[in-house]
This record gives sequence, structure tokens and C-alpha cells, in this order.
Amino acid sequence: MSFKARRVGNATVVEVNGQLIVGNRHELKRLVLEKLEGGARHVVVDFARTGYIDSSGLGILISLSKRVRELGGELRLASLNEDLQRLFELTKLHTLFEIRDSLEQALSD
Amino acid sequence: MVLELPNEIGAIEKAVDHAVECCAHARLDRRRLLFDFRVGLTEAISNAMLYGNENEPGRRVRVELRVRPGEVRACVADEGRGFDPDRVPDPRLPENIMRPDGRGIFLMRALMDEVHFNPDGNAVTLVLRDSGGGDRADPRARGEEGVRDAGGARHDLRLPGHRPDDDVTRILAAAIARSAELARQAEASRAELEAALEANRHMRAEMAREHASREMQLAHDLQLKLLPPIPRLPGVEAAARVVPAASVGGDFYQVIQLSGGRVGVMIGDVSGHGFPAALIMALVMSAATIYAEEGRAPAAVLEYLNRAIGDELESTEMYLSLCYCVLAPGRSGIAYSNTGHPHAFVVQADGTARRLFATDPPMGIGPTPYGQSTVRWRPGEDLLLLFTDGLSDTLARARRSTGEELVLDTVGANRHRPVSEILDILFEMSRDAVPSIPADDRTAVILRTS
Repeated sequence: MSFKARRVGNATVVEVNGQLIVGNRHELKRLVLEKLEGGARHVVVDFARTGYIDSSGLGILISLSKRVRELGGELRLASLNEDLQRLFELTKLHTLFEIRDSLEQALSD
Repeated sequence: MVLELPNEIGAIEKAVDHAVECCAHARLDRRRLLFDFRVGLTEAISNAMLYGNENEPGRRVRVELRVRPGEVRACVADEGRGFDPDRVPDPRLPENIMRPDGRGIFLMRALMDEVHFNPDGNAVTLVLRDSGGGDRADPRARGEEGVRDAGGARHDLRLPGHRPDDDVTRILAAAIARSAELARQAEASRAELEAALEANRHMRAEMAREHASREMQLAHDLQLKLLPPIPRLPGVEAAARVVPAASVGGDFYQVIQLSGGRVGVMIGDVSGHGFPAALIMALVMSAATIYAEEGRAPAAVLEYLNRAIGDELESTEMYLSLCYCVLAPGRSGIAYSNTGHPHAFVVQADGTARRLFATDPPMGIGPTPYGQSTVRWRPGEDLLLLFTDGLSDTLARARRSTGEELVLDTVGANRHRPVSEILDILFEMSRDAVPSIPADDRTAVILRTS
């Protein structure tokens, strides 16, 4: 499995293991939508174990972020390594997302 | 390396991983290989599948990888109608930033050192280069649209809209289209090769039941049919001949026109006899032409050849002595690889011969990769002389010196004659000797360049 969700306090943490790309982006979408239906509103996507993300992966994060916001919640991204951070900066998506250095920080405020 | 992918997005990750593995030894910045290249290639392939091939399951995506030290080029081609990459809007603009799509081409250009689309817009070539220790050039100086500097800081990317160096792009695009065409031809030949392999297996089973003389006749016909005519090449005078023995050895030769006026010369001898040997020979010849025409170095051609027929050699317990030489016009050296072929020489202006020593044991026995060597060559003066055991063994029994010495002496003494005349003399000598020896193919190739 590429994606695993767990509950930490009132947040739902989704771990991305490996890649988030065109071939598996819908798995992530399904998983997060399922959690949203189950009442989750604070979603943290944890990239500590992520290799790379492609434009489709970025696209899914944008869609999910919109959806969470519509429901009055917030989607945060945590633990981006230098390369992933660069990807968000290149595309200027770092201005769009709530990005935290670590999972702890994403969960703390 | 060429990968043909079905139009399934699930195939992308593995294909990308495989491509990265192929680049493992290419002296590239590992981090950029593992991140920038993977993302860029993923974008190129998914674009090809989703937009180029319009997500149609029957279509295919072809990924061709060219790896050399410090550089990898990946060409990704689809079967779609193509599109204009410059009409894709800048995904960073406020009006686009919330869109979930439209970042693929932008990311390719931002992460790769070069990105080229062919004129039809259905093939893209990505180039990743070694940064040379982190001292990366200004991306604008290279006409590219945005690359990080060594510290990872961003350069502002030029908006897509017009491309610099359109001529260069067109030339590259034409080259890419040409290489795609070659690759298609190679693929077709590979399919033929596989069919021939299958035919070989089938044939062997069939032939076991057939009468021996019938087999010999077929093999004999096949061998002669397969041997190609010597192409007429500017600045090259070449002649070659095979006289097959009754039992058929599986000797062959090829003179192949390469790009840039270069010429490839090959001689080979399959260890076995009869139909299986002739079929191996057929496989070798078709595969060798493909790889040689791609313009690869001798060692690389042999490497590919071994990949194509290694299993077949092993299963038939045959092996192959093969010498492949590449001559370039005006160059004073011949590059060659030689898997245990005993009789390869440069006959020099003074009549003495310089041996092209084997770089490796015969194919099918020795390990790969193959070695490659160079021998001095004086255009206009030297002769390249390749022949097989059949010729020298015949002569050895006819005269009292060794057959090889006799061949060399004869060629040396006649070195100023046209090469076809030298061949006539050699074969005339060996024809006289025929009655006293057991049969093997007799083959020789002689070539001079101006």
C-alpha cells in the first residue's frame, strides 16, 4: 500500500509511502475522501517517506485541499524533503498549501 | 535501451525505475537522477499516455534511453496527433495556480537540463547532465527555461510562449524523428529475429527427422542466400568471398556502411555445422546489422549481439568467433573487438602483417563486457585482411608451411593488386588443395581505404 491513514488526536494523518504519481493518485484521493466522509476535517499528509511527486500528484493535493476547505477543514503538508520543497516552490504551490517542516509541527497548532 | 510500454499509467513507475537503474553508472548527480529525472520522465510518459495517446488502451508509448558518461537522454514518443507545447499556459499564474492539471511540461522544463519536442509534438526528449561538481551554468545561457542553481535556489522561469534556438530545436527534432524511425526499424528486425529464433528451434526438431544430405543442401542454400553483397562505398575498395564446404560451417562476413563515411567490417565463424550453425549465422548477421548501423563502437555492437543470441548459443552449445572492425575515413586507426577470431590482420605497405589480437574468448564461452582495441591503419597503403580457418587449414595441408603464413605471404606479395584479384589468387591456391582436406567453409575479406 502506498498510503496509510491514522488518527492522531483530532487530526487524520495520511502517510505517503513511495511515490505520489499519476499511477496511484486516485488511491490517495479515495482514501482521503473516505476519511472526510467519516468526519475528518484536519488532514495532514505526511511526506517523510516519499520519494517523488509528479504533476498529477500535485493536482490531487490541490483538489483535496479545495475539498477539505469547502468542508471547513484544513489540509496540511508535512515533512517535505529538500527536493519536494523545491517542487512546490518551482510551481509556486508553496503559496497555496499549509506546509510544516515536521509532522509534530503540523499537529501542534 | 528501448522500452515499449502499453498505454497504462500503472506501468509508469516501474518503467521509470528501470530507466534510472540503467543510468546508475553514468556519472550523474545521484540526487538529480533520483528526483529530477524521475519526475521529468514520469511527466513525459504520463503526458504521452493521457494526452498524446488520449488514454486509449491499444496504443503504446516508446521510451528510448541513451546513456553516456555525464549525460542521459530520454526520448518519449506516443502515437497521438501531437500538440503545441508552447500553447500550454504558465501554471504558476494566479489564474492557473488552483488548477489540478497543466504542470507536466512546466516541470519537465524546470527539472531537466534540456527539453525538446519534435515538430509533430508527439515525442519529447529530456536531457539530464552532470552538473560538474555543482557549478551549474546559468540556465539562460544554455537557452533553457529554468534550472536550479547549485544551492537549490530558484531562477524565475521564462514564460512558455516562444522557444530560443528554434533552428537547433528543429535540427534536434529531425534527429529525434530519425532515431525514432531507426528504432522502429530495429524493432521490426528484432521481431523478425525472434521469429527466426522460433523457426530455429522448430527447424532443429524437424531437421533431426530429415535426411542429412537434404539438411546440408538447405543449409548451404541458406548460407549463400544470406551473405550480403559488398556495398560500393566512396573511398573503400572491398571484396569478400565464401566457399562453403559440403558440410557447411557457418562462416559469414559483412561490410556495413555506417554514418559519417565510416565502414564496419565483420567476419565470423560459428563453431557448429549444418543447419543450426547456418541459422545462428543468420541471426548474428541480422542482429549485427541492426546494432552496427546504429553506429555503436565495436565492443558495444558485440555486447548487443551477445544479448540477442547468447541464450541461443548456450542452448545449442555453439560458440562464435567474430571480429568486427570500424574504419573511419582519414583516420589512422582501426577500432575493433575480436572474440577469439584467429585470423585478422593489417597487411602493411612493406608487406608485413600486424595481427588484430583477440580482445576476448569466443562469444558463447567468454564473459562480457567485451574489450576493444585499436590497430594502426594507413589509408591508401594498408590492407585489412580477415579470413577463417577453412582457408588457412586448406593451405596448411597443401603446402609445408602453416596455412596462415602462406595466406599472409601471398597477400603481402600481391598487396598492390586490386583486392578482388588478391582474393582470386588466394582461392585459386586453396581450390587446388581441396581434394586432400576435410571440408570447412573458406572465407576471406580484404579491404583498403583511400
